[in-house]
Amino acid sequence: MPALVTGSAVRTCLGDGRRTFAALLSGACGAVPLRHPARARLNVSHGYHAAGTGPFGAARMLSACVAEAAAASGLDTDRRRVTALVGTGLRELGAVEEFALSGVRPPRSRLHFAEAVRRVLPGVTDVITVSNACSAGGHVLALAEDMLAQGDADAVVVAAADTMTQSMLAMIGRVSDPPTTRVRPFDRDRTGVLLGDGAAALVVEPADASGPALARVAGTGLSCDARHETAPDVDGICRAMRDAYARAGREPAETDLVIAHGTGTALNDPAECRALRAVVGAAGGSPLITAVKGAVGHTSGAAALVNADVAIRCLATGLVPPVAGLRTVLPEGAGLRFAVEDFVGLQPRLVQVNAFGFGGVNAVSLLEAP
Amino acid sequence: MTTALYATGWSLHLPGADLSAAGTGKWARTEAATADRAATLLGRKGLLSKDPATRLALCAVHRALGLAPGRHPVPEPLPGTAVVACSNLGNVETVARVARTVAEVGGRAVSVLDAPGVSSNVVSSAVALWFGFGGPNMMICSGARSGRAGLRTAALLLAAGRADRVVLVGVEPADEIALALHAGAPPLRAGAACVVLTAHPGPLAVHSRPPLPAAVPVPSGPVDRWGDSYGARDVVTLALAAHLVADEGHGPLAVGDPDDEPFAVIGGAS
Repeated sequence: MPALVTGSAVRTCLGDGRRTFAALLSGACGAVPLRHPARARLNVSHGYHAAGTGPFGAARMLSACVAEAAAASGLDTDRRRVTALVGTGLRELGAVEEFALSGVRPPRSRLHFAEAVRRVLPGVTDVITVSNACSAGGHVLALAEDMLAQGDADAVVVAAADTMTQSMLAMIGRVSDPPTTRVRPFDRDRTGVLLGDGAAALVVEPADASGPALARVAGTGLSCDARHETAPDVDGICRAMRDAYARAGREPAETDLVIAHGTGTALNDPAECRALRAVVGAAGGSPLITAVKGAVGHTSGAAALVNADVAIRCLATGLVPPVAGLRTVLPEGAGLRFAVEDFVGLQPRLVQVNAFGFGGVNAVSLLEAP
Repeated sequence: MTTALYATGWSLHLPGADLSAAGTGKWARTEAATADRAATLLGRKGLLSKDPATRLALCAVHRALGLAPGRHPVPEPLPGTAVVACSNLGNVETVARVARTVAEVGGRAVSVLDAPGVSSNVVSSAVALWFGFGGPNMMICSGARSGRAGLRTAALLLAAGRADRVVLVGVEPADEIALALHAGAPPLRAGAACVVLTAHPGPLAVHSRPPLPAAVPVPSGPVDRWGDSYGARDVVTLALAAHLVADEGHGPLAVGDPDDEPFAVIGGAS
């Protein structure tokens, strides 16, 4: 069911939403030498660090985004039933690691994000934390659309946050040798993914809401590969894409911009190219494709909503950022149109936003001007 | 719109718990395998790298689906079946162990078999992979209220036509890290519970949206005696209520906190 986005806020290594988008347009890359106490033991040399992280940094970034998006939309929790849905990949598992190493025990209530939301939005009726890996943000956006359609809430704050955990860094280091220095989405010579700290929040309201809106969410499709624990599956991704178009009542050929998942890993990027070709290309679509992880890293559970904020800004400005780090398109991307080197002037009608996660969880959203 | 869902299967999988307080039928006397002995129910293949919470959740789903013991062939992914899993502590031992390995030996020593478990959705995605459920897959990590959030999510997925069946499963382990993080609360109970929900009319109604029909509260004695199943507690209580209504002759039962409005009613007019 369609819904309106009436507020949006983002935090990445490049700053807030406005600064992040400006840096994306300039082709910036936010990767820096990894700042983590265990760096020497992790085989991960770089990361995309946001300001103000550290212990419970995900909760802090989340609070900041929720407060900013709620204020921008004029959200009134006194007169309306507002549910908050928080997507995350790694919750505050950094605090669990700290407990394992130093014995400092975190309150279990701070492993999820109810307190972080209520601190800045005390009138919210319910806060639900959905831990859906790297597509968590897309999953909570889908649930928000369903809540509004069913009258379960008058407005929904859809938020997401993640900071780096040592255990996830260790897994990245385990499969990349030598260490990656920057993410190169869809590049022939890509060397893998790096994590980025990130958070985002959207205020989502029914399609008939009055007042100014930033974008319309035409629909979000979901699927689970049920094929492999960590590797992506083209069929599963295609099912999420087709579900999005079916729910939105739109045709893939209408899409003229894709904000891709684009993790720069050996497996994701070819799979995503094949799925885009099978669903969008085969239906006659030839959208411009961009991706942000070369600039802001993989913001895990926040990635889908960071992408959504970028989509909203593309709709508003008519400018599409290039894929930072992309020099030579991978063979599986032949025939697809990527934004390379410089930003592109394009007034998109329909934007497809992709997010795929560990466990084969896929979320694909379609956004357009309000 | 309709306010009722329907339960087509349910299970409690609480190793070591005395279920006699929950009735006298076969359901209440079925022994629950511990995570270490999950192969007796699930079969051995593919189980080795699964953490205890995942094993317990798989057991609960296996039983709620009414499957005979042993590994069953995995079908092509069924897009109409969604999974909603509820847990807070399911992967904390994996995360802690990986962090300790990095600190004591180095990152090269961590096992890639632990990769799924450093992400908190390991339980929900493992259930999908094990049984071939290709519908939406949600992992709710929302503290003690995870189960009611999971039921609300399941109702939305069915109402929105995203699935025609939802496997709602709650689980917590009781490893060293989970116990420590849960210290100060009633003793943590390792175990899982599952309720299989559909929107197609069936014999057992599950009301999850107001206004809820009148009902007496589900007896809290058994759940309290079994211990605090934290993020799984709501699902444990839902499964118990389903059992009492369907098998033990109870009238409609309300599920929720004693001093608060119930979040669900099992049974009764639909």
